[in-house]
Amino acid sequence: MRRMQGTTENHFFVKRRSWILILGVVLFMPPLSFLFQFTQDSSFCGTWCPRMFFTWRPDMTAGAFMSGMVRSYMGVILVLGAVLSTFFLGRVWCSHLCPVGGTSELGSRLIPEKLKIRLDTIPASPVRYGYLAAYLLLPALGLGSLCCSYCNFATAPRFLGASFSHADMAFFLRTAGLVNLGLLVGLGFLTKGGRGYCNLLCPVGALDALSNRLGEKFGRRIRVVEDRCNGCGLCKDACPVGAVEAGETVRIDQLSCFPCGLCMKACPRHAIAYGPRKTCQKEERVPAAPSYALTGHDRKDLAA
Amino acid sequence: MKAKSIVFFLLALAASFLAATYRWGDSAHSIGLIRTSGGEARHPAFLGSGEDSYTLIATATVVPPYRGDVRVVLEGEPVMDHRISLSGPIVDLGIRRNPELRGNIIRGLQPMDRIALWVEMKPPPIDPICGMSYTDGFLEVSYAGRPYYFCSEACAEAFSKDPDRYKNNDGARGKYTVAFYDTKTGRPVLNVPVLFTGKGDAKDAGHH
Repeated sequence: MRRMQGTTENHFFVKRRSWILILGVVLFMPPLSFLFQFTQDSSFCGTWCPRMFFTWRPDMTAGAFMSGMVRSYMGVILVLGAVLSTFFLGRVWCSHLCPVGGTSELGSRLIPEKLKIRLDTIPASPVRYGYLAAYLLLPALGLGSLCCSYCNFATAPRFLGASFSHADMAFFLRTAGLVNLGLLVGLGFLTKGGRGYCNLLCPVGALDALSNRLGEKFGRRIRVVEDRCNGCGLCKDACPVGAVEAGETVRIDQLSCFPCGLCMKACPRHAIAYGPRKTCQKEERVPAAPSYALTGHDRKDLAA
Repeated sequence: MKAKSIVFFLLALAASFLAATYRWGDSAHSIGLIRTSGGEARHPAFLGSGEDSYTLIATATVVPPYRGDVRVVLEGEPVMDHRISLSGPIVDLGIRRNPELRGNIIRGLQPMDRIALWVEMKPPPIDPICGMSYTDGFLEVSYAGRPYYFCSEACAEAFSKDPDRYKNNDGARGKYTVAFYDTKTGRPVLNVPVLFTGKGDAKDAGHH
């Protein structure tokens, strides 16, 4: 049987996600650094820094805070754009466009599955907001700082540039560089799904996820069509950010979910859809999908 | 479930606290302004004494109306081996003009340019007794699994009498400066102080 037209798993952004990720990496990252070159930059550090401008230090005046935002104006635009688009469309920046998450995920696909660590037993949201709390509080109290020291936005571009440029290589020739390399490899390449840093530490992701959760009622999200779900849990295995909670029917945690669509691809019953709240909850609103499973759990088409 | 979340939140907070307050002795970062009348670094860069090599990231913005070529010099005694590299696009697409580093001279700085320099430093071994830096003919003595270098038998003997007292004295100490001089006028346009402090007593946890 031909796979039916119009089902959400045929959606362009689900089918072509790998290519979109590759495009993001090529456009943003070294050796080309194409988008950075418009602002006389070669990496996220500088005009495009999306993380430093929202931290406060004790010796800071409001003017200094503002000038920090002016210095990283592209970073400010990036974060505001991500948070706003997330409110209406879900975390598209994180799932499809972010070249750092993309590097991490694409890199992890090159590693054999059996070598990878599963991080989905760790409750991601508490860890992420614990890190965000420290990220915001410690500089404000003058106790230290997490930005730059453990930044994968600084590390991933240098990782890709290190074989071309000594300045990028020099990033790793020091303890802090090796620690960051460890984070990129351990929480990225060696993590199942490649999204450990994104899900557990990334402060931009943490802000973005808040917007995702707050806009859940209003915007498009990945949602479970409950009538159709039998709680088999295949989507839980496919999810790179541990956002699926299995039960009689599965639940999606919108504080971790981004619309990568891997769960939609994994679901044999078409029980996961991307869309606004109203249209996703009732079965008849997704007319292209069959009302009973035509595929086994191994995704073989039984009717074929 | 709730309790588990709270435990993980607190664990993450505690681990992040440790990570944020710990300082790596071999890395530092400084931010500065390049000015015709002598620029300024926002704060000195602190490095821990006793490491084999160090990396300082020095970023700076050119304050108008300054423009020119700038020589970068690592000043301080004893003289350190060092290498300076300028971070820039690997494939320059020519969309914007970028300053260039040749020799230790950054060429073609213009108002509002932003540069990121990587200064890798390698201090010479230092006689822990008299403080002289290594030259040919120094004696090598092994203590606690690592080599120490002495200018003379007398220094080596003084060390062997009370090694614990002197064993941490062989690293780089004191104040160095990454100085930026305008090549035409010879005047400094930025000074970045680099302070080597004893192991463990680097106070500044770093702003970035």
